[in-house]
Amino acid sequence: MSDSLSRRSFLSLAGGTAVALAGLGLVGCGGSSSSDASASDSSAKTLSGTVNCSGATSFQPLVEAAAKKFEDENPDVTIAITGGGSGQGLSDVRDGKAQIGRSDVFAEEKLDASDAQALTDNTVCVVGMGPIVNSNVDVDDLTTEQLKGIFTGQITDWSEVGGTAGKIQVIERKAGSGTRATFEAAVLGGDKAPDSFAPVAEEDSSGTVVEKIQQTEGAISYLAFSYFDDTKFKALKVDGVEATADNVCNGTFKIWAYEHMYTKDADEVTQAFIDYMMSDEVQGSMVEEQGFIPASDMKVKKDASGAITNA
Amino acid sequence: MASETSAKRAGNDLGVDLDEHVKKIGRQDRVATGILTVIVAFVLLLLASLVGFILFKGLGKALSPGFLTTSPLADENPGISSEIFDSFYMLVITLLISVPISLGGAIFLVEYAPDNWVTKAASTAIETLSSLPSIVVGMFGSLFFVVTLGWGISILAGAMALTMFNIPILVRVIQQALQDVPRSQRDAALAMGLTRWETTRHVLLPAAMPAIVTGIVISAGRVFGEAAALIFTSGSAAVNINFASANLSSPRNPWNIFRPAETLAVHIWKLKMEPTPGNDEIVWGTAAVLIICVLLFNILARVLGKALAKKMTSE
Amino acid sequence: MAKRLMPKKQLEGVGLTLTGACVLFVALVVVTLIFMVAQQGLSAFFVDGINFFSFLTGTSWVPSDGVYGALPLIVTSFGVMLLATLFTLPIALGSAIFVVEVQPGFGRRIFQPLVELLMGIPSVVYGLIGLTVVNAAMRAIFGDAAGTGAGILSGGIVLAVMILPTVTTLSIDGLAAVPREYREGSYALGCTRWQTVWHVVLKSAMPSLMTAVILGMTRAFGEALAVQMVIGGVEKVMPAGLLSPAATLTTALTSGFSNATTGSVQYHALWALGLLLMAMSLLFILIIHLIGAKGAKNRG
Repeated sequence: MSDSLSRRSFLSLAGGTAVALAGLGLVGCGGSSSSDASASDSSAKTLSGTVNCSGATSFQPLVEAAAKKFEDENPDVTIAITGGGSGQGLSDVRDGKAQIGRSDVFAEEKLDASDAQALTDNTVCVVGMGPIVNSNVDVDDLTTEQLKGIFTGQITDWSEVGGTAGKIQVIERKAGSGTRATFEAAVLGGDKAPDSFAPVAEEDSSGTVVEKIQQTEGAISYLAFSYFDDTKFKALKVDGVEATADNVCNGTFKIWAYEHMYTKDADEVTQAFIDYMMSDEVQGSMVEEQGFIPASDMKVKKDASGAITNA
Repeated sequence: MASETSAKRAGNDLGVDLDEHVKKIGRQDRVATGILTVIVAFVLLLLASLVGFILFKGLGKALSPGFLTTSPLADENPGISSEIFDSFYMLVITLLISVPISLGGAIFLVEYAPDNWVTKAASTAIETLSSLPSIVVGMFGSLFFVVTLGWGISILAGAMALTMFNIPILVRVIQQALQDVPRSQRDAALAMGLTRWETTRHVLLPAAMPAIVTGIVISAGRVFGEAAALIFTSGSAAVNINFASANLSSPRNPWNIFRPAETLAVHIWKLKMEPTPGNDEIVWGTAAVLIICVLLFNILARVLGKALAKKMTSE
Repeated sequence: MAKRLMPKKQLEGVGLTLTGACVLFVALVVVTLIFMVAQQGLSAFFVDGINFFSFLTGTSWVPSDGVYGALPLIVTSFGVMLLATLFTLPIALGSAIFVVEVQPGFGRRIFQPLVELLMGIPSVVYGLIGLTVVNAAMRAIFGDAAGTGAGILSGGIVLAVMILPTVTTLSIDGLAAVPREYREGSYALGCTRWQTVWHVVLKSAMPSLMTAVILGMTRAFGEALAVQMVIGGVEKVMPAGLLSPAATLTTALTSGFSNATTGSVQYHALWALGLLLMAMSLLFILIIHLIGAKGAKNRG
């Protein structure tokens, strides 16, 4: 199918300059040799082809929204988005099955070093994450030390951290989830919860965390800002710092991660879409609408090992 | 009751207080019947509350204007139009693949199957298929259809995974329907010198048709709600379908079987796992739509079956 | 007509080939599936060097740390399956007896179609209801002991409702297949309806009732999404009780599959879980065959 597609797209180009390479899996057949492919540009009209984009579901809504706009502006381009999780996205882009692999962790954490090196990292946005509690919990602020105590099972009652007495019900995400990895890196600081400590749930997804935190008295968990909803649960301050995008940007709120879109030898359409993701059109409004933070606003940066430096 | 008096007489010979015994077993009988009635009432109540609960939570959203016809990617008031289309399209493709195969398989097993190990192995294979967990079928599909055969995350890969569930159900239904055709009809046809093949085509299949159609439609309802096998084979992302597209190979062309798709059931699962604002309503709305579709399938199956049977007997 | 000219023998050959090809195709797909699952699953042991014995007996499953002990998953899978069977069996059997022995007309015309409708409700919808209703109910009943309400008991309840229609319908068929004369003989001896059901009907329908139960168990064992939504998903420790959150083989697969990169150890370990699931369902089929063979022998 991809063969016939590339032939069609090719023929539809009046003397196109670029040629689809069979080795690239799917089609990469752009008509314009100009590298300026910002979508609103009139030269981008000649873009055509298909971009497969699979991987993390956490920022899939953002990519879907951007892809739809991009497709509307480039009628011959298709961005085929599938889910599957970070692992799937990274292996797909490594194996050439997708042009873009979405991931909420650095590729180095999931792939062999050599495979990871072959990929180009595009950090399209930043996501902040914060501890959340059931609305009836009368604690508003926890120190990092207290959080560490709670998530390693040393603190088990809300009265120990200044609240009304009641059991703390710890809801974790599954080991291997990007959200959990980010939270633990920032809060546990390299330590691990002892094997004897069992949370009351290890949820597969943010969705079930939202559900459980509302239903469960005394529950605590953590979520990305994009899922925050005051009507359903309460977000806590950490060390007195409120969980807001501004505080993430200026480096005072420490729990955050990049959302990556990995590419490998990106063809023209793919690059055009990545460029579009980084353009003002997406970064300016769409990213924030979806609850994420534009990467360009960040005054600090993180590397794959988790070290934070000033940008 | 005659049986009671006879029991009394027999009991007197043994010197047991039979009146007492009869009372006891009578009481037992009434208690048992009472319990059974309660159980049945409980099951009916359960069914009613399940369906009622879903409709109560979701019907309002399902009937809200535009919900069924708006794209899930729309900026405001996203609907479920692509999911509805994808669900039905995937179902049609699945049936196109699975019905002929099941029909052939069932005819072979009923009419031709020699009584040897080949036949036994074949029916065991079909049975195995029926017992496989859907997630295992999904994993297999994600490796074999998606990667080995190179179809990618696509409608075709999803339809093949669904076919694997559907075949055992259909084979069993069709086998049963063929076996239920009165022996006399088959014997008469064979006696007239028709071959087995002709007998099957012109006598057995028409006679079994109402039951077969009912079975197919009921199985369709089952396929319609499957999700686990589809997540890794046809994907869990809404597709920005473009009905104006004339290019059959474009992933946005609705009819392209090599494009990813998201069915209603997968949509529910995905939204529940990765919530976006306001999607609780959409989840329940989608669930209501799904339940209504399944209800319609059930009703359709019965109506079609009856209508076909009537047409045949009137001829 | 041209077709008439085709020799009968040849026509018969066409029929045989066409239908035989269909059966062959299905058999081939099944063989491919078994082969691929086995190949991927076994490479966890033979290529990646996971010890098979410690895989089965290890009490912690943390694939991201390279800890592969599937025992908690296996125990939970059996736990929810047995619980579901326990809850479903009396209800399914009771309603089957009612519609076959007490009110056959009502059973055929009203009850059975309604139960079949229950079978059509998709599993994600059961999961959705479980997440909203069952988990909340668990918390309301057991309080803090139930944690979030997610756990083995919740999983068992949701599965019980899911397999109820399967077990009920098959039980109805089993009971209805008991020859009329058996009952008439029993009534003629002066037995009450309950005595007849208990001593005669249930006994002679036993093989088909057991088949019904095992098919229900197979379905409970293999269900993924509905259970995933209500069971809590804790994989790293053995479940301590009915209220503790846990994970089954299927839920570990659904959640793990998206985090694993293809070809990695973790990926193969997940296939090994799939292999276990497949082996179990083959075992269930084998048991059904054995019951069937025994039943046939008993009938002479």
